[in-house]
Amino acid sequence: MESSGTSFNAAMRSVAPHQEFLLQGSILDAHCEVLLHRLRGLCDNADCNPEQFSDYEAVYQLKNNLSTQQSQYILFRIRQALDHADAPWHIRYLGQAEVGDKNRHTLVRACYDVACSSNVREFLNELGFKLDHEYVARGYFFHKGRMKVTVSKIYRLLQPGKTDQNTLEPMTQSHIVELSVVAPLGQDSIGDDMRNFAEQLKPLVLLEKFDHRRLP
Amino acid sequence: MYIFKVSCTLVNRPSALDNFALLSGQLNSLKQLLKGDKMPPLRNYVLFPVLLSQDADPHLEKLTEGRVMSCNHDLVPDYLRTKPEPEVEEKIQTLSNKAATISTETNTKQLNSLNKITSNLLDIINSAKDEWENDASQKGAQPQTSLPQETTNLVGAITKGLRLRRPDTSMQQQQPGQMAPSSQQSQHPKPGGIGKVPSTIKTNIKAAGSSHPYQR
Repeated sequence: MESSGTSFNAAMRSVAPHQEFLLQGSILDAHCEVLLHRLRGLCDNADCNPEQFSDYEAVYQLKNNLSTQQSQYILFRIRQALDHADAPWHIRYLGQAEVGDKNRHTLVRACYDVACSSNVREFLNELGFKLDHEYVARGYFFHKGRMKVTVSKIYRLLQPGKTDQNTLEPMTQSHIVELSVVAPLGQDSIGDDMRNFAEQLKPLVLLEKFDHRRLP
Repeated sequence: MYIFKVSCTLVNRPSALDNFALLSGQLNSLKQLLKGDKMPPLRNYVLFPVLLSQDADPHLEKLTEGRVMSCNHDLVPDYLRTKPEPEVEEKIQTLSNKAATISTETNTKQLNSLNKITSNLLDIINSAKDEWENDASQKGAQPQTSLPQETTNLVGAITKGLRLRRPDTSMQQQQPGQMAPSSQQSQHPKPGGIGKVPSTIKTNIKAAGSSHPYQR
């Protein structure tokens, strides 16, 4: 069982890029327009309108009773595009974000993102996963080279599973801004590009490697 | 003159040498006089071009500090001009004629109105400048386009689901499940160890007190 898992991991590593380099920040809603304008200028496809998205994300949790490791549960994230009904659903696994030392400019975490069919929720339920929390993320998507920038607002669901406009409640008065690249292992040079890009958004947004251990 | 004489007639050699010595002495004193500032009439000489040439003249270039490369047909009229061009002269003539016909009364009137317009313009420029500087200082004073607390909330929400979980009936089953790992992550000592913690602290204090007698 263990050996098959590691060989699977090894196969994944060789096939797909799986390391996410990440910087995070936020912007108050009042200044979001300015940020979008600047991003439009900085990123590719400046002549088009920024691409919008509206995603529903449900996070499933499986308690791991056997494990003696520190994290006693495992989270899987299911994402569904609300504005494109025919788009495939996505299942995503995110590892613990590592801050690293000063030489590393971004957070680094494992990231596996795979398209799947729409019955993935039943499948996870069958496996013993339980719904942990859910939200809707709406916003804008930019890219510059292989860097991805999302500016999105996080909404709470007032009624479980209902994603209509009137059952959504904005969580804060800010948009979250994320700059990320998913790359194969060991491409640390991408961090320099990302830091340079983040510098250009100052002082509007402070994109930083947000230490997740600081979270309560 | 003298040289001609020397070459044509036989002269007494010592007297000729004497005369040459006299000449060189007088030339020297003339040179010194010319160098001094007390001889302006000798320095005010009229310049007229003897030779026009398209070839670059390094000496001329050096004299004019690189402004004139060669004494050619293109430059000389401009440099040696003592009168404006005929068309310009004509224009000046008509303007001065017009100025002469205007009465002193209208003259002063126009002068006053010009002064008024100028001062108004100056006021406008100054106020615009003040406004602009105020704007700049205000921008420097309140660059608050993002709040760190909001970043924390949003990042906490999308990575750990903080403030997204509902205290619903459906969630209550999971509540202990979520609480357990998070509490174990934040504080590693197990509940059983709590009793021992104060005693270790006590011994630590004692040990510290005895080993550093000079600190108090």
